[in-house]
Amino acid sequence: MTECVADHGCITCGDVAIPMRVAEIDHRRCLALCESVDGQRESVEIALVEPVRAGEWLLVHAGTALSRAAVQGPLAGAQEPLVAAGREAVA
Amino acid sequence: MKFVDEFRDAELGRALAGEILAAVDPRRHYKIMEVCGGHTHSIYKYGVDDLLPSNVELVHGPGCPVCVIPMGRVDDGIALANEPGVIFTCFGDMVRVPGSDQTLLDAKARGADVRIVYSPLDALRIAKQNPEREVVFFAIGFETTAPSTALTLRRAKAEKVKNFSVMCSHVTIVPPLRALLESPDLRLDGFIGPGHVATVVGARPFQFLPDQYGKPVAISGFEPLDLLQSVLMVLRQLADGRAEVENQYARVVPWEGNLRALEIMDEVFALRAHFEWRGLGFISQSALRLSDEYAEWDAELRFSVPGVRVADPKACQCGEVLKGVIKPWECKVFGTACTPERPIGTCMVSPEGACAAYYNYGRFAREREVA
Repeated sequence: MTECVADHGCITCGDVAIPMRVAEIDHRRCLALCESVDGQRESVEIALVEPVRAGEWLLVHAGTALSRAAVQGPLAGAQEPLVAAGREAVA
Repeated sequence: MKFVDEFRDAELGRALAGEILAAVDPRRHYKIMEVCGGHTHSIYKYGVDDLLPSNVELVHGPGCPVCVIPMGRVDDGIALANEPGVIFTCFGDMVRVPGSDQTLLDAKARGADVRIVYSPLDALRIAKQNPEREVVFFAIGFETTAPSTALTLRRAKAEKVKNFSVMCSHVTIVPPLRALLESPDLRLDGFIGPGHVATVVGARPFQFLPDQYGKPVAISGFEPLDLLQSVLMVLRQLADGRAEVENQYARVVPWEGNLRALEIMDEVFALRAHFEWRGLGFISQSALRLSDEYAEWDAELRFSVPGVRVADPKACQCGEVLKGVIKPWECKVFGTACTPERPIGTCMVSPEGACAAYYNYGRFAREREVA
């Protein structure tokens, strides 16, 4: 998931950002060991989102956390109800 | 999967498709541009366009970082990679982008030390591990990726890593959108705004689209429900006669962006007077160079870079595809001479390129199953 390989496309070139959970933090070096949902671990630059705590979810692109991955259900960005019938299915 | 499955719910998707159908005027044809290549990829991967009425057309924009790099810039990168003692680092897709007579992957096969990295920080790590070698990082990408390069340069400066430099080819999203809107080739009704660029720059920079051009915008996430919801937001604005920037991806995108990222980008980068975009030509103030404070780490000042302008191959119509003037399948070489395995144009290289998205998900012609 966090690979950048020539044969399968590059998530970095593709402007893809993935949610990763903070496992350990190295405040001195501004780095955090983070884990993706499929269990891959990598060192992530956290200067743009500090302070972070272990267990938080970050949105990571090119080894840099760009923001926190906010916990919010689908269709929550709407300023008015978008799907009247499907609304109650959203927790 | 956390943060993902809930945005791929089929029942909600069908419900949104119904709302979209109710929001359109059947007598009108709508052209909505999704700016970001990541959106293009998601639309075809999940068949989002199959859920749209036939009079809602998605037009693919220039927001694919690899696709917009001109051939001359690739040749410049290859020239640097061939410098004695250089380790040339770049993201995965860039190694397959054709220069005028070879790719970086070809250069590697011929002996150049070209290495794929996942992040600029990996390139800096290689520099620290190889102090006797010069390590160059080919920095591409929009404002999503530029902060990573900026933070890495700040680290290189703080740690006094002298054998590291950056060939800066970062671009900015607003100038090409302006160029597209000024072009007589294309009539657009609204925009699906790039969610991850907006995570950095915020939703505010897209305000010019409604203010100056009267075009509705929905800044969008990348999952199928995000995209359907964004299409609906744009259609409802059109139905109501409104033109605003709406933020569908508010769970990630703050209106003001990431201020720390903007601050460090301001420190490390300066605007280039102009930059050549593949297919779009030269656009003023549309790309970044290293600021004077970071000139010591600028590969274009450290090495001799040819800087030759190379015309795109005649057969390739990436320019028209990037401008949304033609669909990929309308290009003469699409899927025949130009495939993801042997790309002629950049749009076929990256999965986020419109041509690769069409090819990989079997969209060889316009005809589609209309829901």
